[in-house]
Amino acid sequence: MADMFDGIVMAEQRFHGEGYQEGYAEGSHIGIAEGRRYGALHGAKIGSEIGCYLGFALTWHCLLQKCTDEKSSKKIRALESLIGMIQKFPYEDPTYDKLQEDLEKIRGKFKQGSCHQLSQVT
Amino acid sequence: MPEALSLLCRVPAHPESRCWALAWSPGGALLASCGGDRAVRVWGRAGSSWTCRAVLGDGHQRTVRRVAWSPCGSYLASASFDGTTCVWKRQEDGFECVATLEGHENEVKSVAWAPSGSLLATCSRDKSVWVWEVDEEEEYECVSVLNAHTQDVKHVVWHPSQELLASASYDDTVRLYREEEDDWVCCATLEGHDSTVWAVAFDKEGERLASVSDDRTLRVWRRYHPGNQEGVACSGTDPTWKCVCTLSGYHSRTIYDVSWCHLTGALATACGDDAIRVFEESPTSEEAQPTFSLTAHVPRAHSQDVNGVAWNPKEPGLLASCSDDGDIAFWKYQRPEGC
Repeated sequence: MADMFDGIVMAEQRFHGEGYQEGYAEGSHIGIAEGRRYGALHGAKIGSEIGCYLGFALTWHCLLQKCTDEKSSKKIRALESLIGMIQKFPYEDPTYDKLQEDLEKIRGKFKQGSCHQLSQVT
Repeated sequence: MPEALSLLCRVPAHPESRCWALAWSPGGALLASCGGDRAVRVWGRAGSSWTCRAVLGDGHQRTVRRVAWSPCGSYLASASFDGTTCVWKRQEDGFECVATLEGHENEVKSVAWAPSGSLLATCSRDKSVWVWEVDEEEEYECVSVLNAHTQDVKHVVWHPSQELLASASYDDTVRLYREEEDDWVCCATLEGHDSTVWAVAFDKEGERLASVSDDRTLRVWRRYHPGNQEGVACSGTDPTWKCVCTLSGYHSRTIYDVSWCHLTGALATACGDDAIRVFEESPTSEEAQPTFSLTAHVPRAHSQDVNGVAWNPKEPGLLASCSDDGDIAFWKYQRPEGC
């Protein structure tokens, strides 16, 4: 006797449940698509930034090849260090635990190489 | 504790402005100050008072936040909110700007010279610490940009005898750096403060470090080398720093500066409650768990926040302080009996 009314009595709960499942599935789907878009955008930004540093480092490394003084060798070593850091960076692995730390080290090395100072000697 | 710290002289150093920092020359005869009026002033003794010997007014476009003398005393560096650090060379008739270091993205908060005189460190609101090297031709070159902190870096200071650098930050930590194979690395992170660390100071031997914070505490840290007797673990060859003493309940506001006297061992603090306090190690203090007691407290040392305190490097007991009220005050400290 109770089973006849079960369908009606439990209707609201059942519809809630089904609605929730559908909503959850749709939400996950949209979330993944959005995540992919965000990841691609962010990844491209970082790629562009690092690419710029690499271009800078390779160019200056080439330009300084002819200079043999101590100061230039120091600069060349610093550029080689930057190139090394960039080449070693694991681009395929977004879950790399030292990702931010290594990126900051690369940025720091680039700033060091690209900064200049003004000397005012009379 | 009456008269442990008595006022000798008060000087309106940066009128209608804040006096941000002070630095005694290595010989102890001159005091450099800097302020919100964008100038650096150098003061010398004149009888029982102090007079202005030089004004370095055209180096910066904004507030000068910190000044530091080179160990030889011939150069003065000034760090400014305009993003640059100027290096001034002492001449017969004054000071001349011989270099302007650019590179930081925004306000430079502090500058310090290494004991060797060939390295300079700067730090900024851009969260980085820069190490510069100067050669015989007075040319400055950036040798490292360190991005270890996650927030505004407030203060940098060098170890008294080694090429070890300490920095204090809005991220509540103190970090230490040393050179490793042509590059500078962060070799230790001191965590413990609950808020911004405003300043740090090494003791004379450099085995201890004092830090002061927005959390109103002064902490003393001790260095433990690998293989130490006390069994403190070290990772690799780097020493570990452990907090061995926390002084809380003495300061009612943020502590902005700390100075550790290398002659007497006394610690002076500059506080946002307008007061200056002096602490000394108790006679019963133990190396592993030192205890410090308050030996002097001047509640209204200035009429506004005290920004800086500095012990004279040659004259024991001579202390200078500066404040948001624009004044510099000179004090005589005498350790009370039975301390």
